[in-house]
Amino acid sequence: MNPVTLIAQKERSALLQNQRGLVWLLAYAGILSAFALLLISNRELSLLDNAQVVYMMAGTVTAAGALIAVIMGADAYAGERERGTLVPLLTAPVSTGELLMGKALGLVSAWGIMYLLAFPYLWSVGAGGQNLGQAIFYLGLFGTPVVLGFGYLAMALSARSGSVMSSLLTSLIVLLFSASPLLVGPGLRNSTIGKTLDAVNPFSGALNTFDAVIIDSDPFTGQLARLFLVLIWLGLMFAFARISARRPVFR
Amino acid sequence: MLIDANNLALTLSGQSILADVNLHMKKGDVYGLLGPNGAGKSTTIALLLGLYQADRGELQLFNQQSPDLAAIRRRIGVMPEFAGFYEWMNARDYLIWYAGFYGGMQTTPDTLLQRVGLSTVGNKPIKQFSRGMTQRLALERALVHGPELLILDEPTNGLDPRGRREIHDLLIDLAEQEHVGILLCTHLLDDVERLCSRIGIIDGGRSVFEDSLEDLLQDTGKPRYRLHMTSVPEGHPLPPEIRLINKEGSWWNFEIDLPTAMDIGRVWINLLEHGWSFDEVGVKKNTLEDHYLSLTGVSAATLREKVA
Repeated sequence: MNPVTLIAQKERSALLQNQRGLVWLLAYAGILSAFALLLISNRELSLLDNAQVVYMMAGTVTAAGALIAVIMGADAYAGERERGTLVPLLTAPVSTGELLMGKALGLVSAWGIMYLLAFPYLWSVGAGGQNLGQAIFYLGLFGTPVVLGFGYLAMALSARSGSVMSSLLTSLIVLLFSASPLLVGPGLRNSTIGKTLDAVNPFSGALNTFDAVIIDSDPFTGQLARLFLVLIWLGLMFAFARISARRPVFR
Repeated sequence: MLIDANNLALTLSGQSILADVNLHMKKGDVYGLLGPNGAGKSTTIALLLGLYQADRGELQLFNQQSPDLAAIRRRIGVMPEFAGFYEWMNARDYLIWYAGFYGGMQTTPDTLLQRVGLSTVGNKPIKQFSRGMTQRLALERALVHGPELLILDEPTNGLDPRGRREIHDLLIDLAEQEHVGILLCTHLLDDVERLCSRIGIIDGGRSVFEDSLEDLLQDTGKPRYRLHMTSVPEGHPLPPEIRLINKEGSWWNFEIDLPTAMDIGRVWINLLEHGWSFDEVGVKKNTLEDHYLSLTGVSAATLREKVA
């Protein structure tokens, strides 16, 4: 069998058969469950427009997906190194490029599972509205590059540092920094700094698109610049991972 | 030749890790790579496996000058010192999965597991394995594709005496019957004496010895004695004809460079006159440990410094 397929197969089984992988998926489902429950049961939030609620759920899925991708990415090389399983991979007839591709495909599978898991939650909060289909489509189109980009960033740092803790913390800081303009509210977002960050921040790019298409029903053509931004983000992070994984820290 | 490495040097992060390492191995050799902690043994192995690139020197594996790494690795089996596994898998599934990198298994997983005494636990999750069982599985992982060269880092760590003996027998069979070259990196000199035909000793990133075990153990021609000291002889110099080798408790081992005109009795009188106090003398047989300590120098040099 092709080494890339073998490694991707192992990554998938690590998520679905290993206790650690199942805990991550459970944590992801827990975040979505708690948020969906809040949107439905909280009196003030339940008064929100259906489109608003679907937009918030799509944003939460992207953020939770990015968080799990960062955890998985940080574990990709450094976790294998710490558990003593990296050297057997590096000494097998597998190139470092194939190893990275296998792990990258494993992350794609993980996001695929998380994306599918998000459907019932989106349906539970937005079944009565017109925007559910759009939310699912744009979550796939914009959420995928954002989530995978954060996963590849963590993977690159994991290969470079050889420490799960250090790569996880660094990636989480970048993730928090990316989400910060959204967390601090419209005041900062309307300033020059906020606008600049919004323009280059893939996380903002995805959320602004969700806002535009789900709430304002803007056309797809208006989202091309943001689509370009998130795809550039994905490309850059994959290139960073590829360079970093050429000589991963293995001792 | 399986390995032909000459004058290998490697610098990592500005620090010289290997300065001049030589290693020569042919088919069927069992080669013991020895050296103190931090001497560069594991780095040498990493270099042989292409995980590092040498700054200087020549390296040929299987007589190929510019190797295709994947092709080379198909011919090598590696057992790293820290043997990790995907613990949610069972031993049988893991071996089948790992063999996939080499184009699949040449035999059944049960035959492989039987070879290392794990046939009854093939369906058990690896997380339930003891240290010794994990070591056996790690050895089988290295053998799964029938390699021509086997690189083993501390393979008998964590094994009980019976397990150790079984692994020894398996390695001897592999070398003698299948002509597999075995590079054994270990601190257990008993393993080396039992298994190895050739020895390489590295100290401070340099090869300080490389030859057959027989040659190493050959008498230097200078008689060796062990003396039981009644007090610690700090600050007392040694007579010039006596060289301290090492110390084992209150027994101190010496090599005597006996001048033709002097008998051994005179040597002991000289030693007593130099302030050394002992109550028993015995003849010291050369062991691998003595040679190892003498060549790597740390123990003897430290003692000599203390005495001087």
